[in-house]
Amino acid sequence: MENYFDVLSALILFSSFVLVANKRIISYIRTFQLQACLIALTAGIMGMNSFLKEGKIDILVVCAIILILKVYYIPRLLRKTYAGVEYKVEKDFFLNIPILIFICCFLVLFAYFSVPTIGGTMAGNVNIQVVNSFSLVLIGFFFMISRKKAIGQIVGFLVIENGIFITAMFSTHGMPFIVDVGVFIDLITAVLIMGIMVTRINDQFETIDINQLKNLRG
Amino acid sequence: MAIVIYIALQLVVMILLAPLVNGIIKKVKALTQKRRGAPVLQMYFDLYKLLNKSSVVSQVTSWIFIATPYIIVSSALTAALLVPVTTFASPIAFPFDIIMLVYVLALGRFFMGLAALDAGGTFGGMGSSREAMISSLIEPSLLVSIFTIGLASQSTSINDIMLAMQSVSLPLLRPAFTLTFFALFIILIAETSRIPVDDPSTHLELTMVHEAMVLEYSGRQLALMELGAAIKQLVLITLIINVFLPHDQFIAYAGIGGLMLSLLVYLIKVIGFSVLIAVFEASTVKFRFFSIPNLAALSFILAFLGFLQYFVLGR
Amino acid sequence: MGLIIWFLPLTLVFLSRVISNRNTLHLISASISGLMLLAAGFITNAVINNGVLNYNVFGGLFYVDSVSAIVLDIVILIGLLASIYSIGYLEHELAEGKITPKKIKLYYTFMYSFMFAMILALTVNNMGILWIAIEATTLASTFLVGFYGDKHAVEAAWKYVIICSVGIAIALMGIIFLHLSSVDVIEIASALNWHALLENARDLDTPILRLSFIFIVIGFGTKAGLAPMHTWLPDAHSQAPSPISALLSGVLLNSAMYAILRTLSIVNKNLMDNAFAGRIMVGFGLLSVLTAAIFILTQKDYKRLLAYSSIEHMGIIAIAMGLFTPLSVFAGLFHMINHSMTKSMLFMASGSILQKYGTREISKIKGLLTTLPLTGTVFLLGLFAISGTPPFSVFASELSVLTSVFKAGSPWLGAALIVLLALIFAGIAVTLFKIFYQQSKDLPQKDFAAKLEHNEQKLMSEVMRGETKITDVMRGETNKSGAVVLILLLVLITLMGLYMPVGLSDLIVNAQKIIIGS
Repeated sequence: MENYFDVLSALILFSSFVLVANKRIISYIRTFQLQACLIALTAGIMGMNSFLKEGKIDILVVCAIILILKVYYIPRLLRKTYAGVEYKVEKDFFLNIPILIFICCFLVLFAYFSVPTIGGTMAGNVNIQVVNSFSLVLIGFFFMISRKKAIGQIVGFLVIENGIFITAMFSTHGMPFIVDVGVFIDLITAVLIMGIMVTRINDQFETIDINQLKNLRG
Repeated sequence: MAIVIYIALQLVVMILLAPLVNGIIKKVKALTQKRRGAPVLQMYFDLYKLLNKSSVVSQVTSWIFIATPYIIVSSALTAALLVPVTTFASPIAFPFDIIMLVYVLALGRFFMGLAALDAGGTFGGMGSSREAMISSLIEPSLLVSIFTIGLASQSTSINDIMLAMQSVSLPLLRPAFTLTFFALFIILIAETSRIPVDDPSTHLELTMVHEAMVLEYSGRQLALMELGAAIKQLVLITLIINVFLPHDQFIAYAGIGGLMLSLLVYLIKVIGFSVLIAVFEASTVKFRFFSIPNLAALSFILAFLGFLQYFVLGR
Repeated sequence: MGLIIWFLPLTLVFLSRVISNRNTLHLISASISGLMLLAAGFITNAVINNGVLNYNVFGGLFYVDSVSAIVLDIVILIGLLASIYSIGYLEHELAEGKITPKKIKLYYTFMYSFMFAMILALTVNNMGILWIAIEATTLASTFLVGFYGDKHAVEAAWKYVIICSVGIAIALMGIIFLHLSSVDVIEIASALNWHALLENARDLDTPILRLSFIFIVIGFGTKAGLAPMHTWLPDAHSQAPSPISALLSGVLLNSAMYAILRTLSIVNKNLMDNAFAGRIMVGFGLLSVLTAAIFILTQKDYKRLLAYSSIEHMGIIAIAMGLFTPLSVFAGLFHMINHSMTKSMLFMASGSILQKYGTREISKIKGLLTTLPLTGTVFLLGLFAISGTPPFSVFASELSVLTSVFKAGSPWLGAALIVLLALIFAGIAVTLFKIFYQQSKDLPQKDFAAKLEHNEQKLMSEVMRGETKITDVMRGETNKSGAVVLILLLVLITLMGLYMPVGLSDLIVNAQKIIIGS
């Protein structure tokens, strides 16, 4: 069983690399969708496991929510937002892609060396799943600061959230159910609001390049 | 005696099967595009036809141009000898032969690049410079992948690696091997000049890489070049499927019966993998040439992550 | 009975979508806020008498003790005053044509969602729900920050939602680690229950708990406006409508600080000493005060000045909580109350000034005491109060924080704090001089005409020399209900500085005992 999770965590991590390598907004929305699928799969396996062993359906419900929300609804929402904004095809990142990828590579190394130093239940034995999911959080942060477009930032935020979610899945086999559901409600609201804000930024600034947002200083 | 049987087996299987792989890929691609496509055996006919034709050689070329087809075919065949199609026959195996495999293939590529420059055509030079760039981009990830599987199986001999992998249950469910598998898949795509790195069916001058290099060849020499490329492709496919999807541990028979069964399973795997390649090719578009470093970086990251995961898990 | 405090704001969220009559909406908003104050009074009374208020519904989720009661009372009180102030404020904006009637409905919807989220955060005993509620405060207030919808407001709102969401995501990581540290100790039914965590604090997995605390301080610290995660705060506070700035500064920051406080007591109980958490809190606190001092000294925008002052006071509270002595926690909680009231008053006053002058720049505000006699006076006294001048309550609590710093045996920290506070005082004093000392002879057109009849020649020559300008800034208060609120708050902070009611001090002492755990 752990085998599946090892592989899935590695694939999820890899999908975030693909995300960093994506150039166009549409393609990273698609990659995000793929990542969400993998996470749903992880949750599904974990949920089936806990259902068969303990008869609990909590994690299966969470899996269903992920499928509806992250695989279907949020990408759709982002595509809609994207379709609504005026968008000029231009370079969306500060560094070129191979450099971005290598920086992310160092982030993974950093996670690999830092997670085992935490101590406690994680001391000594490196838990590959936690390393991978923690790297995902770091890559999410990096993705956010490396993109200039507002939608890229939303995707970065979602990747961070994905990373945190699977860290929780792998380290504690899920949070209490009500907390999980609440987190999803917050997430969907956050994405909705950010989507609306993107439209507003586009209305006001006629671009969604957040580098243009520098009126407020000091 | 056993060695002779092995060599004969390897050469026969590789030479006979290599054109089929191309045929299958082309057929599947045609089917995904709702075309009927050429027959699966078309490449055999092509090779037969070309072999019976005389070749035209430019006057400005040197001996390199003439020698290259033979060098390519022989390097491909040498490579073919290093990658056993089945572990039942006693193979030619010695330490570090996986490194040798890499450089035997590199030798062929080197001469192909030289020959393309030799003819003095514009496309040849362009093709060989592009090929040089792609291969140098791909090489780091190839080596890291090899290190990973070598470390995991405690050996640098391909046969030993295959044997070691047979004792691993479900290798593709281990993160290190999964990631290395995908890294090698990207390498395979790049090495065999397939979409998205190169388009094997294009003759549009600006985009072609491999085709540009064989542009000056004709007749028998062209046949040898094509055959060499096909064998190289099959060698890489064999390497990947026999390392990551080993099957010989499931075959209970010993002796000639086991060997035959093993070859049959191998054939099925090759066909299946060819279909996979074709589907992959049909579902992607060719990258702009300057996006290829991104693909190479991804492949390197896959290999590197695989390496890291191997280290973390220690298995 | 106490549960009504959850349903009142939700009722208003619903009603604000249904009712289209503006005046009815204003009235209902104010009266529901009043009812909420009554409910809060009831809850506080129960807490004073019984120690905790815990209902056996929703799995015992509703839980108020002295700590939450203090912050809850601040939220409800400021909420009530802000809702009263909003009436005049919104009507004026409507008259000026800056907003549409539809936007007023939207304003109430989001304001009361915001209130609900904060009340929820303060009345649950589950750290996970607490996180959800605090994230919900961000989401509910984003549109309030971007209320005016112009370039600056949109930019501020975008920064606000992105920085706070990411910060809060870090806090979620912290909450997950908190859960992880308790997995073997607490059964799943009461996972993340604050009370259970505190009771079993000694058995929690220490290294993971430490990590969790770092994540939580950074995450909730982002919402509490601690430097260097404060960058959203000046933008959001200056661009939001003034009653919302008052809520953000006076209430939201406290709610986030409250979340840190809850974790702090678990961590300190687990580690059995204060060195680890104390260093982090004091470090962030001191950095916040320093950042605020630098920016206040060079500030040109009075709303941003107030925002930076909020960062400063959050820093002071963080330092007080970090020291974790009984006196310092007491002083910190008291400071929280005082800062909220003073800062809300100042933001509301600045709202009236902004509406009158139409600019946020300090240098363009002239003759404030003649134009807006009441608001001007309040603003003047409020600036004195917020910079820590007696007899106002901020002085009393700042003094106790400083005393506790010296008593805790960290004279250098105390000295640094005093120097920084002096710098901030200087910065605010400069602003005061700019606004109030420059007596302008600018005359509104109507007054000009009236004066012209008396001494025509003198006035004309003054105009010619540029000493007197004719402006379209009219004299007199615009927001009558707002003025009442301002006076009420001024009286409150003055009284609190001179005399602390016994009930309040008991409540704070109880809260301090809960936090320190003795």
